[in-house]
Amino acid sequence: MSFVCPGCSCLCDDIEIVDGRILHACRRGEEIFEKYKENRAKPMVKGKEVDIDSAIEEATEVLKDSKNTVIYGMDTTTVEAQQLGIELAEKLNAYIDDNSSFCLGEFVEAILRKELPTTTLEDVRDRAYVMVYWGANPFHSLSRHMSRYSYYPRGAKRPRGYEEDRFLVVVDVRRSETAKLAKKNAKFIQVDNDDELVDSFFKVMEGKAAKYAKEAGIILNEMKKSDLNVIFGGLGLKYGLKDLGKFVEMVRKMNEVAPLYFIPAGFHANMRGFNETLFEKTGYVNKYSFKDGKGDVDFAFTSLLQNGKVDTAVIIGTDPVSSLPYDVASKLKEVKTIVIDPRMSPTARVADIIIPSAVSGIEMGGTMVRSDGARIKLEVIEERDVNDIYILKKIEEGL
Amino acid sequence: MRFSKFLKVEAEIVVARYALVSDETKSRFEPVIFFHPEFAKRSGVKEGDVVEVEANGRAVKLKVKLSESAPESGGIIPNGIFASYLTNFDGFKRFKANIEVAEGEPSSVGEIIERVKP
Amino acid sequence: MALNPMDIYKLLPKTNCKKCGEATCMSFAFKLLNRERKLEECTPLYEDKKYERQRKKLEEMLKPLEEATETGLIVDEGLCTGCGNCVVVCPVHVEKDPKGAAVGKGITIDDPILRVEDGAVKVINMQACRRYGKNRVLCVVCRENCPTDAIRFLEG
Repeated sequence: MSFVCPGCSCLCDDIEIVDGRILHACRRGEEIFEKYKENRAKPMVKGKEVDIDSAIEEATEVLKDSKNTVIYGMDTTTVEAQQLGIELAEKLNAYIDDNSSFCLGEFVEAILRKELPTTTLEDVRDRAYVMVYWGANPFHSLSRHMSRYSYYPRGAKRPRGYEEDRFLVVVDVRRSETAKLAKKNAKFIQVDNDDELVDSFFKVMEGKAAKYAKEAGIILNEMKKSDLNVIFGGLGLKYGLKDLGKFVEMVRKMNEVAPLYFIPAGFHANMRGFNETLFEKTGYVNKYSFKDGKGDVDFAFTSLLQNGKVDTAVIIGTDPVSSLPYDVASKLKEVKTIVIDPRMSPTARVADIIIPSAVSGIEMGGTMVRSDGARIKLEVIEERDVNDIYILKKIEEGL
Repeated sequence: MRFSKFLKVEAEIVVARYALVSDETKSRFEPVIFFHPEFAKRSGVKEGDVVEVEANGRAVKLKVKLSESAPESGGIIPNGIFASYLTNFDGFKRFKANIEVAEGEPSSVGEIIERVKP
Repeated sequence: MALNPMDIYKLLPKTNCKKCGEATCMSFAFKLLNRERKLEECTPLYEDKKYERQRKKLEEMLKPLEEATETGLIVDEGLCTGCGNCVVVCPVHVEKDPKGAAVGKGITIDDPILRVEDGAVKVINMQACRRYGKNRVLCVVCRENCPTDAIRFLEG
């Protein structure tokens, strides 16, 4: 029997457990299977340990009294739990947001709005020739991405794999581990400013001189050899671009030369699931206000905290103390924090109320959405009754 | 006290995911900075040193490791609590920091949590 | 990173005393690297105090030899993220596991050369490696696609 790894948005579905050894999972994924019983959160209210139902009741009371609540996170839980979280936000007339608003959410949005053409990782494996890792270092962030889905595997139309049937491009501000793999039939472009490379692609297509004209010219020519080429965009691209619109336009224009698709490369296991679930319901992928009936940058978790717009934060399966800059994270002390998480994360350690939950994909089944949009069913190793679904339902019933 | 022959040097910091320094159970996060070997040499910093990294008026102490994957004019701080503590939203994943060789132990996660939410 | 016989030779006594049974220190260096000889067989290194520093250096230098497999492959798990590039690129795996490793999935054969286990690559069956045995080929594909040198070969 194979398990699905809930470690990152690759959602590798070929993990085996044989005689207590975890096979095929990368280091990050393996730890989730190996150590899921470690560092578990305990139900707590204001630093005192309580039973789980008391913690849930206390949270419900806080939410009843709250005037402006934000529900934040849910990128590591299932689509089914995300639906409940969104329902809860609606019922509370609250704000809802996740990590994607400062991660790759706007790329997912451009895909869902059909502004960026996209494809599946299976098609990449079977057919892709040029693959551009732009501001992404999968070696550390999505360790099996290249061996499982993109550069290394032999595909139906790419039987010789990386040796002859792929052309690898790596764009980064530094010579990352992935850049080191760009050897034969490959190009590493070390940029200081990503916009200059976008500009170079435009200029080359117009036959003009540009800073990276040579590289852009080679890449465009290689792309003409295939009916499927792909850009994997990571956090480096997100933070390197001043203007996403220009990048989207570049991809559109390059499609007049050769078929080119975009797949986001980064993020938590089910961040795309959150984006899709909220998009289906509201037409926005993140930073949404049920009170205002729209999405806006002002409704991002980070903006709400910085501008003092909320009095309560329900933080589900994410760790803003570790992941958000100090000028945002330090504002957590000004709001009531309810943390729903399987683990005693740094954020749980400073929470007013901790509600311990189950590890999705280990202790709770359900659906997650891979980085390319494929829906993957999770397996369960050891079912745990108190999971995100149980907790969110109980809170909603109590309101 | 040792006479500091090390001046503060400015470094370009890139914040990036690093698979080998943290624990997926959120119980461990290594206080480490990866300098490019050339940068370390120019700045008189050695592998194993503890450096104070200061940015936006905040500072953490990190242990030095070397990596050729780091930017030539500075280093990588793995995506996590130490990098987040130093940054502001402006320059979230790439910022300039001042580096100085320091004495004592690297910062702990608990220490940073305490500063974020006393 | 890789060892070469010249580096070893430089630290030997270079007297060609033949006490080890080899005609020259250089040929002893070669045999050390191939693990056909042991450092202790160079008795002057241990008896003469003036070689002590060199001997310690040599011991340090030759340590990876003990950890290496018969094909000279050394895995440093501390540098491995379990990305599986090595498993998927291995030509032997591609041939033997066309529906598994060849197409990127976790390797399905029972006795692969390499397999990612518990988050890092492990050597399972070195005998299947093209570098093994009499008709060996000096294949370095797994090393070439490891960006952190978690996989090395003794002779480079």
